[in-house]
Amino acid sequence: MKVESRTILGASLFLAATGAVYWALVYKHGHQTEASGIAMLIFGFAAYGMLFGYLMLQYVRRQGHPRPEDSFDATMADGEGEIAYFPSASIWPAGLALGMILGGVGAVWGLWYVIIGGIIFFGAVLGWVIESDVPEDDQNLQAPH
Amino acid sequence: MTLLEERPQEHPEPSERALMEIIPGPRPHGLVKYITSTDHKQIGLNYLVTSFIGFLFAGLLAEGIRTQLIVPNNHFVTENVYNQLFTMHGTIMLFVFLGPFAFAGLGNYLVPLMIGAPDMAFPRFNSLSYWLYLGGFLLMSAGFLTNNGAANFGWFGYAPLTEAIHSPGPGADLWIIGVGLTGLSGIFTAVNIITTIFTLRAPGMVMFRMPIFVWNQMVTMFLLLLAFPVLTSAFALLWIDRHLGGHFFDQNDGGQPILWQNLFWFFGHPEVYILALPYFGIVTEVLATMSKKPVFGYKGMIGATLSIGALSMGVWAHHMYTTGAVLLPFFAAMSLLIAVPTGIKFFNWIGTMWRGTITLNTAVLFCLGFLVMFLFGGITGVILAQPVLDFQLHNTYFIVAHFHYVMFGGSAFAAFAGIYYWYPKMTGRLLSEKLGKLSFTVMFIGFNLCFFPQHDLGLRGMPRRIETYSAHMGWNFLNMLSSIGAYIAGVGVLITVCNLFVSYRKGEIAGDNPWDGQTLEWACSSPPPDHNFEALPPIRSERPLWDANHPDQLTKVGH
Amino acid sequence: MELATRLPGTDLGSPHGVTTQDKYVHELWTVSYLFSVPIGLLVLGLILWCVFRYRDKGDGSGGGPGGGRTPAQFQYHIPLEAAYTIIPLVIVAILFGFLYSAENHVDSISKTPAIKITVEGFQWGWRFDYPNGHKQVGTVANELDINSEQNLPVLVIPDNETVQLHVVSLDVVHTFYVPEFLFQRDLIPGIDNTFDINPTTPGIYPGQCNNICGEYHAYMRFLVDVMPPSEFNTWYSQQAPNSITTAGEPQS
Repeated sequence: MKVESRTILGASLFLAATGAVYWALVYKHGHQTEASGIAMLIFGFAAYGMLFGYLMLQYVRRQGHPRPEDSFDATMADGEGEIAYFPSASIWPAGLALGMILGGVGAVWGLWYVIIGGIIFFGAVLGWVIESDVPEDDQNLQAPH
Repeated sequence: MTLLEERPQEHPEPSERALMEIIPGPRPHGLVKYITSTDHKQIGLNYLVTSFIGFLFAGLLAEGIRTQLIVPNNHFVTENVYNQLFTMHGTIMLFVFLGPFAFAGLGNYLVPLMIGAPDMAFPRFNSLSYWLYLGGFLLMSAGFLTNNGAANFGWFGYAPLTEAIHSPGPGADLWIIGVGLTGLSGIFTAVNIITTIFTLRAPGMVMFRMPIFVWNQMVTMFLLLLAFPVLTSAFALLWIDRHLGGHFFDQNDGGQPILWQNLFWFFGHPEVYILALPYFGIVTEVLATMSKKPVFGYKGMIGATLSIGALSMGVWAHHMYTTGAVLLPFFAAMSLLIAVPTGIKFFNWIGTMWRGTITLNTAVLFCLGFLVMFLFGGITGVILAQPVLDFQLHNTYFIVAHFHYVMFGGSAFAAFAGIYYWYPKMTGRLLSEKLGKLSFTVMFIGFNLCFFPQHDLGLRGMPRRIETYSAHMGWNFLNMLSSIGAYIAGVGVLITVCNLFVSYRKGEIAGDNPWDGQTLEWACSSPPPDHNFEALPPIRSERPLWDANHPDQLTKVGH
Repeated sequence: MELATRLPGTDLGSPHGVTTQDKYVHELWTVSYLFSVPIGLLVLGLILWCVFRYRDKGDGSGGGPGGGRTPAQFQYHIPLEAAYTIIPLVIVAILFGFLYSAENHVDSISKTPAIKITVEGFQWGWRFDYPNGHKQVGTVANELDINSEQNLPVLVIPDNETVQLHVVSLDVVHTFYVPEFLFQRDLIPGIDNTFDINPTTPGIYPGQCNNICGEYHAYMRFLVDVMPPSEFNTWYSQQAPNSITTAGEPQS
């Protein structure tokens, strides 16, 4: 996680530095309408900063246990075990998207679409959540052995 | 994250190649498979096909634009329809084709394969992204079916022209919602791909062993993560203005029209690199494989990508030089600086080919086309980055020529290189080289005939987005040339479309590794099975497969 | 009305305009050319050299498609990489130096202009307000044919004088663009924009709105009539205060 988090820290610091320089210059030249630019640069700095903070937290929690993908001489066997849950097929994402798209159509043509879209949306969320609740043994992908 | 922590830390080394168990059970087929699949390869293909259809549709709109402009005082379409044509051409090319083709289509298909992962980190989330993207595409195009037609204010929709009083009707709303949905889908894809790259790499695949394509993909995703929320919020403000009586962009009631330009371009300039960086990745991979060499200056290349990504977040107002309301020297300096890492990339590409053994197939030809035309677009870009020259050239056909050299001659040609390079992996068959080379030649000639004269048109003062022009302005001949070029380029594209269909059934069987590939996607079968790998070679450099196939020519580690 | 036929000449992309500001634009073009043409040719040359010299001629003995040999697997050359990072940085810095000085000249605003004219853009036409209240107006309603320059609004200005233009939009974003001045400036509601023009050559030059502003964007044209100061003063004294001249309609 070291390289990952440092990359993001770099982006965050770059935005902070750019934002500071930009702020100073804007106020020196009296371009008051550019407050939006300063706001966006600060937003970028904070957003990337948050990501960096989360990754650092993970890094600290894993001290002394480097992941095999961060180790220069790991073998495939080091990655053995459950990787994650990878469902092979699911109808719910398409349903959820349909609900959201109908919501979008409602933003153009009116409330009825939003109501129908909302019903489909919450139905799909329900289906999605129930589908995830399966015994782990059946669904978790086994990495090599 | 918690699941990953359960991995055993100490383990004896049983064998160099390990097997992955595949979930048993029936697989859906046909339409059901298309709708329900959460496999990153199926979703990647969905994206690729959908975005290519978007490319053909937007290309058709472009032919309409060029037909209208072929002679002065032409009346092929009305003013309103013309405005819809160029607006939707730009919107679909950028939001449906160029971006998603690379970062979502190829990204989905290739990133897990290249880092040795079984799938994306969030497969169902991935499926959701695709459906939102498709919905966005359909909604924005649906504007053509409404009474007033589609959006007609240019793809960057400067307020207050986009306000309800100037652009009434559902076309503009559909544009807002459609682009908003593709943006939302892009954010989801970004989260997914970043998580995949951070947490699902195969053992030994440290960050500095990832292929350049994956690095570029990652930087692209970070740009997207910053840029698209800004766009989405700008769209939300615009929608509130149009429907709920807001005045964010309405100067008469205390709003600021220029706020839209700042918000839009704060998204828009990172977006330009979202449309370029993955294509740099494609070119890097193709050139390295086809030259039978490692990427020259691998770490410098990553550094260049990172600096382009960082700088691109601080140059948005170079689209606004002529507004008289931005800090010219700041943005000019930042924009000129981007030329430096881009130059590094060029020299690294040359270094990759240097003293290699270059197989001159269609994929490489498209890459060379990319190099030549992107070089030219880059140089005109340095000219345009200078505010004083931009005062002369802004919004003229010079700009149109510049960004088509970058986006079409650059990115789209790289997209074609990617198609010719990875089609065998996706279908198991090679594309016809004969048709491919013909397609490249026709496209290259047509493209340059279409867009090179437009530089001169811009210098002669022809504004972009005008529906027709006077015969007295000295623009007639160049416009005629340009339109003819556009038709030729269209024919070139159609040849590749034929190739895609013909080779799907009749193409030569490719085998797993037709190009002597260097990265992991060539280590699995063509097309890859569910959850990708039956075996992985040990990963000891950024070219694990090359090392496995050429034990006497190992990639030097850590230079 | 005869149009000046000399639209910005291409002159290898290094154009001459008809104002004193064009000197700086021309200078920047020249500087850009001096840097970009050699660099472009160098990179293009290297690409083409690689393709012709190192293409797989199919006579090698190694594996892989075409049977080409396997080349040496070199990957890094730190001095070279440093060189092509630092040299472009220096070039960019020099370019920025030229640019910065040119920009200050082009953007500078005189405190004592010879005449101040307000340019108002609207959907779809132009209005030019003179200090004595005289207005020159033209709209697309009177512009019957794109091939005719008869009924366009005319901005009359003197040459060899500093003309200060204050540009204002009445509705959406427009752009005041005269190709032969090598200059344009946006008309944005809520933004005050003022700039100076010092024309050097009398003549009639076409101008046009250069920002998509709705249906009749292409027809939103105007003419700039640059006159010698004496001629301009005669014309100006003939215009009654607060009078309006509308292009395409009989004078009122």
